[in-house]
Amino acid sequence: VSELPLLIAAGIGAGAFGSLLGLGGGVLIVPILTLGFGLPLREAVAASLVCVIVTSSAAASVYLQRDAANLKLGMTLEMFTAAAALAGGLVAFALPDRALALMFAALLLYVSVTMVRGRGVETGDGGDAAAEDPDDSPPPRGDDLAAGLSGPGYRVHNLRLGVVGSLFAGLVSALLGVGGGIVKVPLMHLGMGVPLRVATATSNLMIGVTASAGGLVYLLRGGIDPYVAAPTALGVFVGASVAARLADRVELRWLRALFVFVLLFTAAQMGLRGLS
Amino acid sequence: VSGRGIEPGNGLGIERGIGRALGIATLASVVLVAVGVAGMIATQTPPLDRAFPPFEIGRLPADVAAFKPAGFLWLGLLAVILTPSVRVVASLAGFAALGDRRMTAVALVILGVICLSAFLGAGG
Repeated sequence: VSELPLLIAAGIGAGAFGSLLGLGGGVLIVPILTLGFGLPLREAVAASLVCVIVTSSAAASVYLQRDAANLKLGMTLEMFTAAAALAGGLVAFALPDRALALMFAALLLYVSVTMVRGRGVETGDGGDAAAEDPDDSPPPRGDDLAAGLSGPGYRVHNLRLGVVGSLFAGLVSALLGVGGGIVKVPLMHLGMGVPLRVATATSNLMIGVTASAGGLVYLLRGGIDPYVAAPTALGVFVGASVAARLADRVELRWLRALFVFVLLFTAAQMGLRGLS
Repeated sequence: VSGRGIEPGNGLGIERGIGRALGIATLASVVLVAVGVAGMIATQTPPLDRAFPPFEIGRLPADVAAFKPAGFLWLGLLAVILTPSVRVVASLAGFAALGDRRMTAVALVILGVICLSAFLGAGG
């Protein structure tokens, strides 16, 4: 029973860190459960998907009620993230743990580099692209569908890129137990002309359905350990909820530096696990 | 879901109703998970015991009625995983009410993918 409070505490920590830094908890939960609690990587990925759905659903509810997300764009892209997540969930059962560990190490390195470069990842701290750079140019030919997904003050373009990126994000989500926001937010913001705050909110909206498609495969194939997934998810929910109320009072610069250090250390551990 | 006559996705309209539905579903699923975890504490179930009970949807009602922690854990986890579908169903109703056939079709495709996940996950 002594492991139960530890699992809940780990969930609280991952949820709080993730919420403060604008990341889903997945990049933390999978390493914690594998390296800290000795779970097989696939079980950790499955538990992480459950946690990701909880945080995404809670955040998406708020974003929708504040009209911050682009529902049309999110639902259009999540057709592809969900389909890819379904494929990823099936592929994950065929891949060896070592391959998943190496992929996860690569993901952690990518997240670390993104945070060092100061993109703000999903934090929404990069300003509003629509306010900074209103797009008054005529829409590209053949991009009418994308234009129909536009919101007030900005025009969505390059839907084809969005589809390809969404397929990749969905695959990564189901294979590695993460939300995939690290792919979707830059994709929508930099590639499709969506303001960062809207991209962040829309990505959060999409994460739930994406992880749900992958999560169902894990659930029905016996990949979810309820004794691990439930307390961790509960902790993540509590941690993310508390951190959201503390976000304005926390010095994020040092937290971000510490987080990058932890990610790099964890990437090395996962890399070693994959190569051993 | 309200908002007839207001363009969805443009900052006003159906989003608030969908957000409320999603919030209620999320809270309900987390409460079920919390009850299951409380049951684990009460019965001193070690979480890292490798032999965890299998997910059998037919056993859920009986396990929940018998107040078995595993019943609440599985029901809660199932509810968590299906919560995003509540949002898609609410969106489907909202877009259909607005007469937006393209987005109604998009919502149906998403629900189709989720159903396909369940079918293939169950070994179909």
